Amino acid sequence: MPKVSALDMPDVPKGKLPEHLEVQRTRVVCNADAPIHTEPFHYSGAFALMGVDNSVTLESFCKNLKIEVIELTEDTMEFDMIGIDASLANAFRRILIAEVPTMAIENVLMVNNTSVIPDEVLAHRLGLIPLNADPKLFEYLSEHDTPNERNTIVFKLAVSCKKGSPRLTVKSDQLKWLPGGSELEMESPTPSAKPRTYTSFSRSQDSMPEFANKPLGVKHQDIIIDKLGPGQAIELEAHAVKGIGKVHAKWSPVATAWYRMLPEVILLKEIKGVDAEKLVKKCPVNVFDIEDVGKGEKKAVVANPRACTLCRECIRGVNEPQVELRRAKDHFIFKIESAGAIPPEVLFTDAVKILEEKCDRVICELS
Amino acid sequence: MDPQPEPTSYICGDCGAENTLKPGDVIQCRECGYRILYKKRTRRVVQYEAR
Amino acid sequence: MEHGSLTDLSSSTFSLIDEDHTLANSVRFTLNQDPRVQFSGYSIPHPSDNKVNIRVQTTGDPAKDVLKDALQNLMLMCKHVRITFDDTVNDFRATEKVEHMDINSNR
Repeated sequence: MPKVSALDMPDVPKGKLPEHLEVQRTRVVCNADAPIHTEPFHYSGAFALMGVDNSVTLESFCKNLKIEVIELTEDTMEFDMIGIDASLANAFRRILIAEVPTMAIENVLMVNNTSVIPDEVLAHRLGLIPLNADPKLFEYLSEHDTPNERNTIVFKLAVSCKKGSPRLTVKSDQLKWLPGGSELEMESPTPSAKPRTYTSFSRSQDSMPEFANKPLGVKHQDIIIDKLGPGQAIELEAHAVKGIGKVHAKWSPVATAWYRMLPEVILLKEIKGVDAEKLVKKCPVNVFDIEDVGKGEKKAVVANPRACTLCRECIRGVNEPQVELRRAKDHFIFKIESAGAIPPEVLFTDAVKILEEKCDRVICELS
Repeated sequence: MDPQPEPTSYICGDCGAENTLKPGDVIQCRECGYRILYKKRTRRVVQYEAR
Repeated sequence: MEHGSLTDLSSSTFSLIDEDHTLANSVRFTLNQDPRVQFSGYSIPHPSDNKVNIRVQTTGDPAKDVLKDALQNLMLMCKHVRITFDDTVNDFRATEKVEHMDINSNR
């Protein structure tokens, strides 16, 4: 018998991968104990011997990429990103959380605080309040810069609870924007010198065209900052600057940004009658449904695989598996929940732009 | 040393009334006679990092 | 910063300051798609240092050029993602508007 390579045998498909390898390449299979095939095939020539090209060229990427918007509201967005590698999807997610800049309160100048919340805790709470300010209109305040109208927003909080009156709740809308900058004077070593404030604004921010029609403020008016008992008071100034989530989470523009791979639920055999009803009942998110096949006979079908959370309840504790759970490696269900300063669709384009800038920076350094 | 020590403001722990005390004064609220007094917070600006 | 030998330009380690998995993992992906690349990988030597080392070994071309091409490719991919995304969002908005108008006209 002549020697024939295993690859040349008649039942081996030519120019495409055999089924088991194709599944391993494109799917994560979630078994009852652990997921398998989680690692992708990185190398472009991984299947060169079989005559299959595993590379992604720019052309093939552009041809295969598909984006579908599922939901878009003022501050949340869900979309499907199909035909993209996890490394890129993850880069976008990481940038959204940690590298898209926003404005947040960074310095708190406390004049008076007799409330039950200690100064440093109160300052921390103020830092976490989302501000309704477009970070693109501001510059970063670096260490040796003086705070000015292009890099700082000043807010004032002055509340007191009168003696004999009931307890007072201090909410975020009581933070008042000071377009003219700080009103507190610095202590000067020489008393005769002209008093200086903590900021040096050359002009009022409300005279600047970008803020004239859109006053700066907090995004949500009803965030509870503190509660004052009778006789207690707070008087402070809060200075907001531009920053990124990598430095501190208060600058993160998203409440969260995440993705999941598209679930795929496959029935390995026909499931009928009582078994079908059992299977439908097992699933807490109603992935399965029952279909009439006529003559009073019923069978289980996969009605809504997208809802699958991979709880694996349907494959748990059965001797012979009826269902296989998989995830598509190149289909991402992406969800962005904005903290409010920037709309989610703008956030995503900003994130992609930041990755482009990173590439550009390294290219410039290499040349 | 200051020739004349400044009188300092204290707040009564019971009724909340403000008392000014010089060194040597009896530590007692002028309004209610309570003997625990707290020093008033300075009006000097204290700067915190909101982190 | 590039660490390589002067005689063999085809393999080098690139040390990028102030970068992390975000860029390194994406670049490794595009590098691996290049048929000229024999090996590529990255590591973060210490989690407290803001740097990442990217290793590139090629079949002959200078590693630096191949890395540059990979970065260029990544940039173009991003651009394409951005354009596709913007188009889809605009389309979504347009169809949503039409649907709203239908609801109003039915009233």
